[in-house]
Amino acid sequence: MTRRQVRARMRRMREKYEEAAEDTGEINLVPYMDIVTNIIIFLLASVVNQVPLGTVNASSPTFGGGGGGGEEEKPALNLTVTVGNSGFTLAGSGGVRPLIPKLPTGDYDYVALTTELTNVKKQFKEETKATFNADAGTAYEIVIKTLDAMREDKDGHMLFPDIVFAAGIL
Amino acid sequence: MPASPEMSDRLKGKRAIRAFARKLAEPEEITSLNITPMMDMMTIILVFLLKTFTSSALLINQDQNMMLPSSTSRLNAKQAIAVTVTKRVVLVDGEPVAPINSGKIDPALKRDGDNGYYITPLVDILSRVARKEKKVAEMTGQKFDGELTIVADRFTPYRLLTEILYSCGQAEYANYRLLILKSRE
Repeated sequence: MTRRQVRARMRRMREKYEEAAEDTGEINLVPYMDIVTNIIIFLLASVVNQVPLGTVNASSPTFGGGGGGGEEEKPALNLTVTVGNSGFTLAGSGGVRPLIPKLPTGDYDYVALTTELTNVKKQFKEETKATFNADAGTAYEIVIKTLDAMREDKDGHMLFPDIVFAAGIL
Repeated sequence: MPASPEMSDRLKGKRAIRAFARKLAEPEEITSLNITPMMDMMTIILVFLLKTFTSSALLINQDQNMMLPSSTSRLNAKQAIAVTVTKRVVLVDGEPVAPINSGKIDPALKRDGDNGYYITPLVDILSRVARKEKKVAEMTGQKFDGELTIVADRFTPYRLLTEILYSCGQAEYANYRLLILKSRE
């Protein structure tokens, strides 16, 4: 066997081997991998930057008929919290509590409102409903902060979480 | 008997071919990683993230016309019909319903004029949506809960908010979820 014959045989063998390797070869997944990795990074970044959204529940006033009687009825509290220009006013079946004035900074005194409502809650432990009312120009942000102050005290104890918006405004 | 030089060349050539064939048959050294399992994993993560995104309650675009107030409420947002109140327009599920000028709805769009609460186009659209929701609830054996999400700008005046809530009430939506940004306080 001459050298040329040996080389020719080797070339044929190599070509045959490479053809066989090509036939069983896999699809190149690297570009797909790149795309998927980019999408995942983008989605993860979006999740990290996403602002946590929540809700405050409230409802419209509903009018229903009175109870059937028979049982001894507890006096209803009918608590109403009103946001006025000068501060908060608390009213109930028993009368109107003194005004909770604004702070010297001009902000509403949410802490004092919560304290006052905590005192009311001590007398009416079962009551969870309260009616909310406000001045026409009161900003929605103040409404939400007031609802927060009405919902629970600083220790997380429930005060009046069932808020009903008053029918009408001041 | 000593081999002739021609014979010797032949033997050498055969030996070289055999050696070359052996070399080709040998298992190859690992030059690249098999990325298929990693691909599977990545695809699963991708599907999971996309699913999380599509099922997350609401996606709100905040800009200068629409800034949500923050609250200490821990309730999570739920998917419901959204009534959005920006500084310029009232929208129902992204569709503009009534323009807002200086915090007020155009009196022409209100049934009772300037002092009225009934915003006619809002009640009309929500009544239509309520009818649809009731039908769906009937067909699926559920109860129509009359819940909707209020997405309002933090400076929306209470008067406008009351008008919106009153109009929603007229379309039998009496339970509101006021959308807020959860604060850490």
